[in-house]
Amino acid sequence: MFEPVFLAQQALNGLSFGALLFLLASGLTLVFGLMRIVNLAHGAFYMLGGYIGVVIATLTGNLLVAVIAAVVAVGITALVVEVGLLRFVRGQELPEVLLTVGVSFVIADLCLAIFGGDPRTLPVSATITGSLTIGPLTYPWYRIFVMAVAIVIGIALALVQSRTRVGAIVRAGVDDREIIAAMGVNIRWVFTGMFVVGAALAAIGGTIGAGMISVRPGIQDEVLLYALVVVIIGGLGSVPGAAVGSVLIGLIDAFAKAWIPDLAYFTIFAPMALVLVLRPTGLFGKAA
Amino acid sequence: MMLAKLVETRTVRTLGAPRSARTRIITLVSIAVALGIALALPYLGTTAYVISLVTTILIAGLLAASVNFLVGDGGMASLGHAGIAAASAYGAAWASRQGMDPGMQVVFALGTTLVVTFVYGLLSMRTSGIYFLMVTLAVGMVVFGLAYRLSSVTGGENGITGIRRPDFIAEYWTFYYFVLAGFVLGTLLLWVVGRSPFGASLRGIRDSESRMRSLGYSVPSYKLSAFMISGIVAGFAGLLSVWHTHFVSPSAAGVHRSVLLIVMVILGGVGTTFGPLVGAAIVVLVENVLSNSVERWPTVLGLIFILVILFARAGVVGSLQKLFRRWRRRSDGPPGEQDLLENSPTTDSSHTA
Repeated sequence: MFEPVFLAQQALNGLSFGALLFLLASGLTLVFGLMRIVNLAHGAFYMLGGYIGVVIATLTGNLLVAVIAAVVAVGITALVVEVGLLRFVRGQELPEVLLTVGVSFVIADLCLAIFGGDPRTLPVSATITGSLTIGPLTYPWYRIFVMAVAIVIGIALALVQSRTRVGAIVRAGVDDREIIAAMGVNIRWVFTGMFVVGAALAAIGGTIGAGMISVRPGIQDEVLLYALVVVIIGGLGSVPGAAVGSVLIGLIDAFAKAWIPDLAYFTIFAPMALVLVLRPTGLFGKAA
Repeated sequence: MMLAKLVETRTVRTLGAPRSARTRIITLVSIAVALGIALALPYLGTTAYVISLVTTILIAGLLAASVNFLVGDGGMASLGHAGIAAASAYGAAWASRQGMDPGMQVVFALGTTLVVTFVYGLLSMRTSGIYFLMVTLAVGMVVFGLAYRLSSVTGGENGITGIRRPDFIAEYWTFYYFVLAGFVLGTLLLWVVGRSPFGASLRGIRDSESRMRSLGYSVPSYKLSAFMISGIVAGFAGLLSVWHTHFVSPSAAGVHRSVLLIVMVILGGVGTTFGPLVGAAIVVLVENVLSNSVERWPTVLGLIFILVILFARAGVVGSLQKLFRRWRRRSDGPPGEQDLLENSPTTDSSHTA
């Protein structure tokens, strides 16, 4: 139970699950940061991305093509949702959030109609097979790949936010929408772009995640719960918060599943409760 | 908060001048007529199916009313209320499966309701708006997870069947009267609380938390109390529903149920006394008719939800009230004090956020 190999194995499990959570939670938190929308369709975007990714990966055997297809399809869906629905209630927080619930219902149900009820995973041809062996420890390369993807995307997001003009506009938009609009930036399209980027991150998570956990009906609510817990702990709108929250929840979840499997469902919930009671805005969050 | 659009009708009415005697008489008469019809229903040659359907509507209406109280008076949109009702139902169902009598079912239902509601309230009382919504959603998902995975207690996916209700309401029509009485009492309770000083303070907190805090109000304890009141009504509705269907399963706690409750509230009219019942009637009827013919029911539900939020946010009762006021304004001649209040910026709570 406390052997070093076992501990290392669980720690890696936790970190790789945390990496997947980060892909999921970063999109949710970015959209909230700029648009103040808790996109409750995020889980459904993940699900849609996962199904499309699995189908394309089965056809082509190429993970990159599958990810691109998922990103494009989910990105277009998100674009339609933003331009076709959310724009009509722009600035009214609660209607915005509730609309995304309706979208989530429709997407999840259509996924059930199109892809059926059986769980689906990435085909072996499209995953990275084999495992890394260091002494007594063996670990699948695929999970290490997931961690690498999350780290690359995390760094890319941080660099775009801090070093580019787009990042500057987004940061300014978070602080003061009116001023940035007055300076000649079309903030409406920045919003739209942000929503699409958030959905694309969910699609990447869905496809890559399908190599770790199967895509199935109900997965949208499950991953949404994890993502919500992560961003509540990290603080809504904070990408570093999402990173810290993901690692924390990933590790807690892995060790809880190994040590106290009966209570595993609550162990992710306990830190959220603790953070909410002590710091309602989350570890890195600003007041609403 | 940006809840202004959703609670608009309520704000207008609470800030407006006392309603005229004529409006009050019309309201009282229509309530009396509705109650008369409800009481006479089993004698009007209705089938057991119709009575059962109306019973379902009343239970859903009571549950929606508990959500409406939180959204309308408290500005707190709960996306986890189905979890509270389900907890109560599971409490009663578990007691029933242990062979306990209905009295103990009530005790267990109340116990689980209080515990679950207190946990909800404790976690969410320091949050507001979107954060409140997220926290209640997350807690609701945990209740669902519990119902699903703690199968030694809850029966897992299959749920618990064969729950017996007390003998004196075993007949479908005696149960109907019992539910009707419960609905009237629950609605009355929420109505009285809404009009008490407590209700006024709650609306004060809804409109400006910081102002109420600086006036010396303990905002979290007000929110927690409101949540407990709402939760107890929801728990009662949960008990009624498990007595009605003799069955409870995880789907009773699911996000879909909670969302349906919000749909009912918005569809009927946020902050109105009878909006939740009207909304519940529409949803239950659509659900029962559609589920027979349309397999893609969740899609239809999602689309209804989207359309309601885009186009009918005042809801049926809210829109009728607006129409009625406009009609009165025209028939009463020049605008009175009430209309001035109605159009003044102070009634728009978004300015005070």
